[in-house]
Amino acid sequence: MHGCARSQRQARVNKNLLRIRKAKNAIATAIALTSVGLGVAILMVILYEIVTQGIAYITADTLTKTTPPPGGTGGLANSIVGSLIMVVMAMLIAIPTGVMGGVYLSEYQRRTRWGSVIRFCNDTLLSTPSICVGIFAYEMMVKPMHGFSGYAGAVALAMIAVPVILRTSESFLILVPDSLREAAAALGATKEQITLSIGFRAARSGILTGLLIALSRIMGETAPLLFTALNNQFWSLNLSHPMANLPSTIYQLAMSPYEEWHKLAWAGALLITSFVLGINLLSRYMNSYSQRAEK
Amino acid sequence: MTISSIALTDNIRPLTEETALSVRHLSFYYGHKEALSDITLNIHRNCITAIMGPSGCGKSTLLRAMNRIYDLNPTHRASGEIMIDGTNILSPGIDILSLRKKIGMVFQKPTPFPMSIYDNIAFGIKLYEKLSRAEMAVRVEQALRAAALWDEVKDNLNASGNSLSGGQQQRLCIARTLAIKPDIILMDEPTSALDPIATQKIEELMVTLKEDYTIAIVTHNLQQAARISDYAAFLYMGHLIEFRDTPTLFSKPKHPQTADYLHGRFG
Repeated sequence: MHGCARSQRQARVNKNLLRIRKAKNAIATAIALTSVGLGVAILMVILYEIVTQGIAYITADTLTKTTPPPGGTGGLANSIVGSLIMVVMAMLIAIPTGVMGGVYLSEYQRRTRWGSVIRFCNDTLLSTPSICVGIFAYEMMVKPMHGFSGYAGAVALAMIAVPVILRTSESFLILVPDSLREAAAALGATKEQITLSIGFRAARSGILTGLLIALSRIMGETAPLLFTALNNQFWSLNLSHPMANLPSTIYQLAMSPYEEWHKLAWAGALLITSFVLGINLLSRYMNSYSQRAEK
Repeated sequence: MTISSIALTDNIRPLTEETALSVRHLSFYYGHKEALSDITLNIHRNCITAIMGPSGCGKSTLLRAMNRIYDLNPTHRASGEIMIDGTNILSPGIDILSLRKKIGMVFQKPTPFPMSIYDNIAFGIKLYEKLSRAEMAVRVEQALRAAALWDEVKDNLNASGNSLSGGQQQRLCIARTLAIKPDIILMDEPTSALDPIATQKIEELMVTLKEDYTIAIVTHNLQQAARISDYAAFLYMGHLIEFRDTPTLFSKPKHPQTADYLHGRFG
């Protein structure tokens, strides 16, 4: 009796169905692998191209001389410095605005209608084409101030960075468990103390990562600078004048007919890429470091 | 103070009649949903009062009304009175920060702050007192000793609070609460996330603490309530069914629902 029952149970398993399920599984794995491979391969090709083309032209001249005259030789020093100045200025504007905006959404407007309106606006700004931000900054700053300037460039870059910082700050503050906020409130901490001493501390590695992502994002932006900082082939430390910057310079050099300029453009591309790569590695390192410190 | 410790070993519990906190006709609403209905009971000074009942009966809600932690959510509302030292703490003009100084709270899940063990304790003290570095070190040590954690962490005060075990984290939270010298300590199922050994340590700690503090504890663990509490309240569906001294409540419950609950027939 028992043996008979068992064979009946086994007979009910459809071998075909098993085979189909296994095949589907294999196909799904293959598709996932191919997609990953494609993504990584594209990145590798870009990196390979930039490194092999650019590495030879990262020379002392490139790093110390200013933009070359047509057909002549020169370097990227003024563009590098100009970019750094504007990016630092932009971050000085964007960090307080973005982080405090994130605090507002996460601590004061969570699950409210007003909060989701702001969040929606911020997400829209986040995906606004950067050329639009450039035009906006042109209308708001370049026109009234009667001239292209480093200030306008910094403001345009800040407008790109703010929504990134706001979104990441909010997301990481929301991840801080409410039980921690309650525990601090139960001790008699005020909302400001709960946010600054507990919320920020618990979310700090995430917020820092957001800052670095924003930083590497604006480092390579060209469009917002086209109508604001313009470019400058000479040393320009005065923020109220047009300012040299790496992305615009690369664009100019690459579009030129001169062989020498193309080489400089590759060197510039390599510089920006290494900077962005470095920032990303730094943020990964900081994340894993703070996770280890927590344990 | 010594009387109660001697009495404890004799397993006779003298019950002080002095009231530390008095709940009168308290009703509580989550939005439009009534979670507590017309609760009246007294929390006696230097006693442990256990609040028991099945899940969702409102026992945590009752505790959370006592330090107005529910204020964090604007849709939560209480009516009635909770009197402490002659003041109704539910009245709108009350100074919430002084209230929270007077009434500490320990939560179900240990909630160490993301900072060192030392700073976890110092955080609360700094909210109320300006102390020198040396004075602060003394206070931190006192608090950790009072929570029976000092010997385990004294060499490691700069380690993260999260590096401790669950039971140690909960004692850290108790130490943090003791550090600001409250009168009353509210404990919301403080041992339900802990293993039996850690639970035992915290129960022993509570019994020592009642010499200096008044404790109200929410628990769904009947044995725990029987072991440590002096008074016990049984809540069911937002109503206070029965409230009396623990030995009587457990041996001769007046209300049939209490008896059913104690015998495990529901809940």
